[in-house]
Amino acid sequence: MSENNEHHDGHGHDDGHHVNYKKIYFILLGLFVISVVGPELGIRWVTLITAFGIAVVKARLVINNFMHLAWEKRIMKWMLATSVLLMFLMVAGVAPDVMNHEGNNWENLAAKAEVERGLAYAAGYSSDEGEDEAEPEVVVAAGFSAATSYGQICATCHGAGGAGDGIAGAALDPPPANFTDPAFWADPARDRDRVITVIRDGAAAVGGSALMAPWGALYTEEQLEQVADYVMSFRPDA
Amino acid sequence: MAHARPIATTRSATGIPTPRLAVWWILASEVVIFGGLLGAYIMHRIGHPEWAEAASHTQTWIGAVNTFVLLTSSFTAVLAHQAAEKGNGKEAAKLLGFTIIGALTFLMIKSYEWTTEIIAGYTITANTFWSFYYTAAGLHALHVIAGAIIMGFIAVDAYRGRELHRVEIIGIYWHFVDVVWIFLFPLLYIAK
Repeated sequence: MSENNEHHDGHGHDDGHHVNYKKIYFILLGLFVISVVGPELGIRWVTLITAFGIAVVKARLVINNFMHLAWEKRIMKWMLATSVLLMFLMVAGVAPDVMNHEGNNWENLAAKAEVERGLAYAAGYSSDEGEDEAEPEVVVAAGFSAATSYGQICATCHGAGGAGDGIAGAALDPPPANFTDPAFWADPARDRDRVITVIRDGAAAVGGSALMAPWGALYTEEQLEQVADYVMSFRPDA
Repeated sequence: MAHARPIATTRSATGIPTPRLAVWWILASEVVIFGGLLGAYIMHRIGHPEWAEAASHTQTWIGAVNTFVLLTSSFTAVLAHQAAEKGNGKEAAKLLGFTIIGALTFLMIKSYEWTTEIIAGYTITANTFWSFYYTAAGLHALHVIAGAIIMGFIAVDAYRGRELHRVEIIGIYWHFVDVVWIFLFPLLYIAK
């Protein structure tokens, strides 16, 4: 026992502070309840304060009173502060690149496409709102939808409305086909079979641009036909 | 002292007992590990509005119950430290036992939660939000598992009245695991 006492009393750390742990615990529980209830109101600033502001307060309470950092030697606080500082330095250093998808001389096409794809997916997905319980099953059981698939894959370049104005298509040369342009369909060779071939094997297969990649691996023959029909629905005279 | 100890475990240039200095060093490195991960998550979350849809599928009440469990286990851990300070090893061991039960409860709830999500198709490869979700919560869960195992050894020693100072050391680590969850909870469950 003397050995343990030595560890505890020998450095004067544990003397002189008597935290009422039970009180701290109940304050933590109270804050926890607020952090769950607050965001339920659905008001943005209330959510930010109750969720994240309270998290900081709770963390401080635990660090100071349970971990006893408040009574720890100053060098320890400096050590931890250095870690926290380095962390913020890392975040600040990469934040402009991660949080923005374009700047003065650059554009992150992949991230933009990802955002567009995700939003299109979410839009097609949240049509059955208010049924939280049922939603997970939807993902597994979801049948194939040509419109959804177009929104997730083709729209990235060809645009959600088929006008060839998709976000990732802006930088392509030649630009993606504009399905709403009558001139595009004026070529009689552009029939349904040809559209199917291009989606399956890529435009290069019919002498077009290699930028229109082959997507055959994603679809069954029947699904290819559905996507082709969807693409052809953008035809002005369709 | 009945037997000689390595000098490094008893001397202290900082005035802080070596074991405590060591655990704080570990936590300083953990700050960078978890901080980097959560910082990356926050930046991506802001840059990717489409994540909101994915995030809306996390199960808030499960996260809330687990927050309560961890807060409570932190409370029993600090009470164990208090008991150890008074030299009451048996009481400290009992309270560490409660903390371990808290850790196991946390892990069981987590297993249930992940099982339902994986069955529903929300796997680690579903999209980047879920990748972050499983990585952050998974790394945290590994810390819970490690803490529970170490606590088991310390509780056995404490029960026999040995190495009581270690109760405080594992406590500091455990509270840190709690603090990480305090931030994970709003980030993954509340911000929808």
